[in-house]
Amino acid sequence: MRILSAYPTLLRIGFANAVAYRTEMLVWMLTMTMPFVSLALWSAVAESVPVGRFDQKSFVAYFLATIVVRQLCGAWVVWELIQEIKSGTLTSRLLKPIHPLVVYSADNIAAIPLRALFAAPLALIGITSGGTALPHEPHRVVALFLSLFGAWFITFFVMVIIGCLSFFMESSASIFDIWIACFMILSGYLVPLELFPSWVRGVAEVLPFRYTLGFPVEILIGMSSDAAIARGLVIQLAYGCGSAAMALALWRSGVRRFGAFGG
Amino acid sequence: MRRYLRLLLLQLRMSIALGAQYRWDFLTQGGLSLVWTVLGLVPLYVALHNRPAVAGWTYEQALVVVGWFTMLKGILDGAVNPSLVLVVEHIRKGTLDFVLMKPADAQFLVSTARFEPWRAIDLFAGVGILVWTFRLMGTAPSLAAIAVSTLLLAVAVTVLYSMWIAAIAAAFWVVRLDNLSYLMSSLFDFGRWPVSIFKGAVRLFFTFVVPIALMTTYPAEALLGRLEPARAWLGIGGALVFALTGRFVFTRAIGRYTSASS
Amino acid sequence: MSRGDQGIEVAGLHKDYRVHRRKSGMLNTVRSIFHRTYETVPAVRDLSFTIEPGERVGFLGPNGAGKTTTLKILAGLLHPTAGRVVVAGHEPRLREHRFLKRITLVMGQKQQLIWDLPPVDTFSQNRAIYDLSRASFDATLKELDELLGIGAIAEKPTRQLSLGERMKCELAAALLHRPDVLFLDEPTIGLDVSMQLAVRDFIRAYNERTGATTLLTSHYMDDVAALCPRVIVIDKGRLRYDGALGKLVEKIRPDKAIVLRYAHRPDRAALERIGTVTECDDAKAVVRVARPDLREAVANLLLDPELSDLTIEDPPLEEVLRELFAQSAAESA
Repeated sequence: MRILSAYPTLLRIGFANAVAYRTEMLVWMLTMTMPFVSLALWSAVAESVPVGRFDQKSFVAYFLATIVVRQLCGAWVVWELIQEIKSGTLTSRLLKPIHPLVVYSADNIAAIPLRALFAAPLALIGITSGGTALPHEPHRVVALFLSLFGAWFITFFVMVIIGCLSFFMESSASIFDIWIACFMILSGYLVPLELFPSWVRGVAEVLPFRYTLGFPVEILIGMSSDAAIARGLVIQLAYGCGSAAMALALWRSGVRRFGAFGG
Repeated sequence: MRRYLRLLLLQLRMSIALGAQYRWDFLTQGGLSLVWTVLGLVPLYVALHNRPAVAGWTYEQALVVVGWFTMLKGILDGAVNPSLVLVVEHIRKGTLDFVLMKPADAQFLVSTARFEPWRAIDLFAGVGILVWTFRLMGTAPSLAAIAVSTLLLAVAVTVLYSMWIAAIAAAFWVVRLDNLSYLMSSLFDFGRWPVSIFKGAVRLFFTFVVPIALMTTYPAEALLGRLEPARAWLGIGGALVFALTGRFVFTRAIGRYTSASS
Repeated sequence: MSRGDQGIEVAGLHKDYRVHRRKSGMLNTVRSIFHRTYETVPAVRDLSFTIEPGERVGFLGPNGAGKTTTLKILAGLLHPTAGRVVVAGHEPRLREHRFLKRITLVMGQKQQLIWDLPPVDTFSQNRAIYDLSRASFDATLKELDELLGIGAIAEKPTRQLSLGERMKCELAAALLHRPDVLFLDEPTIGLDVSMQLAVRDFIRAYNERTGATTLLTSHYMDDVAALCPRVIVIDKGRLRYDGALGKLVEKIRPDKAIVLRYAHRPDRAALERIGTVTECDDAKAVVRVARPDLREAVANLLLDPELSDLTIEDPPLEEVLRELFAQSAAESA
């Protein structure tokens, strides 16, 4: 209960934190707009002949949606965690009467409105002016918000898992590199998943990457059926709970080890 | 000059010694590079294989660009990135002062501090892709073409290095740099595509601001024997501009660190 | 290299820093995205002193006094805002290579040794950077090995060495090029007592053997008291005292403490007639007496047959300095 009452303050401080590093904020915003380049690329590719069912307009809508989702579901806790474990500054967090993950998540959530401030509204405008309708049926809107939250949730906790691995090994930054590499291909970030050969698509539907990006994107631009959405939400829920459980367990044993070795 | 060469060789030797210590890293990074190279081919395959050419580039021709990109990535990850990441560490730990106390050029010391020799795998992979692609096309590049494209590779490395050093100079202002290097990597990643696919503002951006045109497309065009000489000269000129700018920015950054301007 | 120009000259040194200030609260946070206000914080103000070649000088002062800033300016790592600085015949801020070869900097808790490789590799690196001949390098390394007692530990990776071993190798790495001027910034911080003694002895021995000018900053009084015949006290960026440590003590606290031990409880009233009683319990008493009255006081105290031991001590350095800083705070108020 105490967490609930402390959260607003934590959000406020998280916001101040985000603002303190203005340049970093700018850089983050820029990074999240990488899909603009993919957009340019694929519109050129689809200029004469559509790729699958994607013509130029669809690619534009798709990648603009990718920008929106990336901005709204971004997390960066993995770098902070690795840094704090390696330098030992995690100790000061552990001494506070509040779980560090609560503080990290507050920092994250608080920073999102600021970071999404510019690109997200523009992208949304871009999508609708291009002729693609955003979901308006109530159940779809609900599904959209659920999928966005789910995407952030999984991203955050997977990052916590990878960050926690730094308790046990030299640095898990390289493991995160592997995650990002897989993410780029299998989440639909670089290429819409539909356009892959069917066996790749099958693999992507089972792995968690799709549920941190591609799944909400597809809902946003109306590319999925209700059945597919429902199925996706269930899988997302499963990955969400699984990653949170693993993260918490890994955290607990990691912190014990951290304490034993003095960090 | 001779002293700097001696230092460079010494640093290389030490990096290899370091690499021998972390053999596990050696293997995983090498293996990962290969996997990532292969995976990176997938979007290209989807876009161009058995499809009409885009902006004058067929699938095989685009593969040449990917080959150069892979080689450049190997050089970037093996010779440029490791040292510059150390600079950020130095600033964070406050040990940059020791670098500044040495009677040698700070930029040189900082840029040669660390190498990752196993990234040479990327170099070989790149060459492998080039050989395979020309096999697919059934032709072979002329000797002149190879010479020009190798020269342009050197140009590309210079440009890439200067961009990185300018970005690292930003570390003096913005101590948390992970995002910036991530941004640079994402932008650089678009170098696997021929620049002419992009249009308008984006193409201008990728020709003059983050010149992947220079870095991967021009060497590929040279190898394919279709680079206009004017472009080659543009490339060399551009590299010089970038090198000078990079040095200027770095020197200013050091000046700021020592509050030289105040 | 002539010994004549190994000295240090500082005249009217000023150093200001620009710092961003923000009040708390949501409105101010948002405002700071668009517009930041900067304040100028003076770190060093109007500092002047001269150090002769071969001297050992200590910089004393509380945290944030400007000691490290001054040291960094002398080493060329920071540009002064105003004033004249000459070290070993050069202007430090120009960072000429010839200048850099004649000085060295050792910082406690920060090391130049490469973390994952043995110190010998850092030694080789420094040999290449400082352009040392094989002969001179080997000779110097042997000498440093003797003085410091390094031996085989230099061949183990730095991260496997203890803090004390690391410090020894750090000192060796810093002195391979036989500098004429040594800057030591808190060199004994974090070390255990025996290691502190070892480092102190080494610095003294090195200075006596090579005649290198040695500048030391510390907030451990013992370091400075043991090593530095001359101290420069800096507080809030200003020079508070420049001279011998003994004279400083005399000037600030011109009294001595007499520590008395008795067979049983001493008579407080009787002691109070002799001087100020700062301590008085079951078997021990401490009486503070002004120097001129010392002889008479001791003579009187010795008359007491119950007295079992008597020692005369200087007041602790910490107290002296605290007194000094309190005075300077009062002045600036």
